[in-house]
Amino acid sequence: MQTHKLFRMIVACSAISGVAVAVAQEPVRIGVVQPLTGPVAYDGNIYVNTVKMLVDAMNAKGGVLGRKIELVVEDGACNPAQSVNAAEKLVVREKVVALLGAFCSTSTAAMMEVAKKYKIPHITGISTAAQLTEQGNPYFFRAVATTPMLGEAFGGALPAAVKAKRFAFLVLNDDWGRSMASSYPKSIERAGGQIVATEYFQQSELQFLSVITKIKGSNPDAIILSANTQQAVGLSKQIRELGVTVPLIGEGSWTSDSYIKLAGPAAEGVYGLVEYVYTIDTPINQAFVKDFRAKLNENPSKFAGAAHNAINIVIDAIRRAGSTDSEKIREALKKADYNGIVGNIKFDDKNQAYGQSVYLAHVKGGVPEVVTTAKIAKP
Amino acid sequence: MEILGQHLFNGILIGCAYALIAIGLTMIFGVMNIANFAHGEFYMLGGFIAYYLVSLVGLNYYLALPAAVVLVVVLAVILQHSIFRRLRDAPLMTTTLVTIGLSILLEHVALMLWGPQPQSIPTPFPTKPLSFFGIYTTPLYLFSMAVTAALIVVGHLVIRHTSMGKAMRATFQNKEASALVGIRIDRIYMLTFAFGAALAAAAGAVLGGFIPVEPTAGGIITLKAFIVVILGGLGSFVGAIVGGLLLGIAEALGAGYMPTGWKDAIGFFAVILVLLFRPDGIFKRA
Amino acid sequence: MLDQTRQRLATAGLAVLLLSIPLVVRDSYYLHLFIIAGIFVIVALGLDLIVGYVGQLSLAHAAFFGLGAYASALLSLRLQWSMWIGLPAAALITGVVAFLLGWVILRTRGHRFIIITVAFAELMKLVATNWVDVTRGFMGLPGLQIPNLYVPGIGAIDITSKERFYYVVLAGAVITFVLCRKMVRSSIGRAFVLIRENEVLAESLGISAFRYCMIAFVTGAALAGAAGSLYAHYVGFVSPDLFNFSYVTIMLIMVILGGKGTLIGPALGAVIFTFLPELLRDASHWRMIIFSVILIVTTLFMPRGIIFPIIEHLVPKRWRTRHASAS
Repeated sequence: MQTHKLFRMIVACSAISGVAVAVAQEPVRIGVVQPLTGPVAYDGNIYVNTVKMLVDAMNAKGGVLGRKIELVVEDGACNPAQSVNAAEKLVVREKVVALLGAFCSTSTAAMMEVAKKYKIPHITGISTAAQLTEQGNPYFFRAVATTPMLGEAFGGALPAAVKAKRFAFLVLNDDWGRSMASSYPKSIERAGGQIVATEYFQQSELQFLSVITKIKGSNPDAIILSANTQQAVGLSKQIRELGVTVPLIGEGSWTSDSYIKLAGPAAEGVYGLVEYVYTIDTPINQAFVKDFRAKLNENPSKFAGAAHNAINIVIDAIRRAGSTDSEKIREALKKADYNGIVGNIKFDDKNQAYGQSVYLAHVKGGVPEVVTTAKIAKP
Repeated sequence: MEILGQHLFNGILIGCAYALIAIGLTMIFGVMNIANFAHGEFYMLGGFIAYYLVSLVGLNYYLALPAAVVLVVVLAVILQHSIFRRLRDAPLMTTTLVTIGLSILLEHVALMLWGPQPQSIPTPFPTKPLSFFGIYTTPLYLFSMAVTAALIVVGHLVIRHTSMGKAMRATFQNKEASALVGIRIDRIYMLTFAFGAALAAAAGAVLGGFIPVEPTAGGIITLKAFIVVILGGLGSFVGAIVGGLLLGIAEALGAGYMPTGWKDAIGFFAVILVLLFRPDGIFKRA
Repeated sequence: MLDQTRQRLATAGLAVLLLSIPLVVRDSYYLHLFIIAGIFVIVALGLDLIVGYVGQLSLAHAAFFGLGAYASALLSLRLQWSMWIGLPAAALITGVVAFLLGWVILRTRGHRFIIITVAFAELMKLVATNWVDVTRGFMGLPGLQIPNLYVPGIGAIDITSKERFYYVVLAGAVITFVLCRKMVRSSIGRAFVLIRENEVLAESLGISAFRYCMIAFVTGAALAGAAGSLYAHYVGFVSPDLFNFSYVTIMLIMVILGGKGTLIGPALGAVIFTFLPELLRDASHWRMIIFSVILIVTTLFMPRGIIFPIIEHLVPKRWRTRHASAS
């Protein structure tokens, strides 16, 4: 162990010999756990590539605290056991000062136990299951609105926005889908809508004919869905193929370039309830979109947006803490007052982000246009 | 009523594919006495190769489908020569472990070649749905149903009326006697295996237009095909057809009228019951 | 005489080695892997009784592991049972389920047996996924804890650290190993092997294949259930992923490549195939390709697994004691 550390220092020193002494320190290591294999690998890779791109840019400007930032990426495969192993490895062997990840809420739930055990700050920008921040884990921060918060912010606006009264839910059978089906109805019913059906599909399914037929039998005016790219493509195509023409409103990847390209005509007219969409009209976002396009050749998806938030919030906290001591980073995170691509983000006493904007976007001619914006209230 | 009709239509559409895949599995079992846990991978590869030929090579859709089947058959011949030939008369434990190993191998080779994302095969069909008496479908669904049904009939004719089919049936009934009357068992094994793989690959290539293909698709397809084979009786050709349609319809109706998560349980539950009470399949007279 | 001394020396050496691991291995990531490996030793030994000794290929073993994990987790979260009661309870529940399943399926053989075990495993996964009121479905059950260990005369010992939990798992693995060795060296073990080698002969000698297959099946399942309980409390979280087919594959790889029908082989196999996937983490697709090729080649050409042939190749003949193949 000791020799390993020494070796690394020697390598680090010899690599930059001749450069100013201030830089000749060990880099600040940030650990990332995302699914690089498995069903959501595509979106996990987007996240990782975005963080890499942003860290390269930060390092070009001198890094943080006069030190370079180094990313250590591990594959969590959206599997709780593998995510735990990956987080253990990052903390114990790679000595990271903060953890980003995971993707699926179940993996994040398993991973945050590791963060707590080793007292390492842990930020997710993607996992939206409400109970994650309800556990009072002092080292876990969530830089994204939970599904109930989104439901609270937008549910009431839906009946008017899509001109519908009878809503059906067709959601993923996991904590995300289930919390949608339990949190949206309240605000929808307050606004005069009603729920006519609630159906679930499984994580591995790609053939939805039966469940769509069942939804069709309930005669809805609009269908609310939760799905990431691949299932969203299958769902929207098969819904249209079975002759269902009502508006679709989705949480997940419904406004991303890859979804719109793969779903083709079936994507036209879809509404996305999203935490980030690349058409947000602010200078900071437009600069990000420009860099992203130049580097990765597509428009940033919400996972790229999540990555942008998470890495910037962590680096901002390290800068304000003036140290890589995990306790000091944690305190700095608690006091975060960060202005980014989706507006201002602060954390409440359960380390849940609030104050940022969320968007209802409408896909027209292959471009998601922002229809309504709402602010996440302090819970 | 329209909803019930739609459920039945969905069930037959998927059931035809189940039947087509299960025919190959049941024949390989009947003739070679191997429970091929890698059978679903032929479905997956059929779909992926068709996707590759249409999307990335730019081949015409109607040429790509048979080309994908031919390529899978070539692979099947190679596998038969290198691996399955050695499994003749091997104990059950060996054949099962080897085919499980093979299914993992093929799945991960596909992952390396094409990545983890599910892919849809672009088709030349218009996407606008057609409606008959309130039952909706698309030209692609009808095409898929027609192709799978036609292949089932072709398979039946081959088995019943060609000399190859007769030799296969003879081998199934009695290996030693068939060898005595001059049937080349090795050749029959090869033909059976290639034929079974071809049918599964055809199902994958056709269905890949509307059910995205992914590297991990093989596993669940293998299990579904086993359910069908057991329902219809191990080694029974007609049983596989009826069993396939039955499972497709049962799943569609099950998903339609009970919580959808339990849809897959119907098949597994039926298998346990059938194996206990009618171990030769539900159609065999006692 | 000489043989016996040598064997005792080897056992003592192995004991020192195993006991000193937490003192030598200061890297808690590796210690974590040793703990997981220890849990899988229990699983692999149980599976070996079924696959290696009575020769029935069961694909339901991961389902028993998952069932034990869920049973223990639910008892702990809903009824506040400590792991010390939850673990035997999980083993008991798993054993009873295995008995009921065995009672209906151990009369069948061959393909039917294999396929019913798959169907059973898939049904268990569907229950874990869809019985949301109890299992919370895909959300899984978080918040499991490792309890204190009460030792008479000393009182409560906190065993949550990896160094200490390692010894708990080690004790479990050693007890399992000794128990299994007692079993396979007794008349039960001889009946197992006779059934595997020639069932007709066994029946004609009055040995009931059904009865002995049941003993192996229930014991193996109960061990898997106990291991599942340890795993659940150690990781602190259970989810339906535990029922994935890939787990049963890796368990089979441990047993088959380790050398089925011996005890040392699968135990070593469990350790090796816990570490290898982690060490090959960066080559995640390649590692499964490599494993599957090894599985195919081993099954076809090396019925004794890969560990014993390698040892025999490396260790000169006169140094070898009669290893545990005295099944």
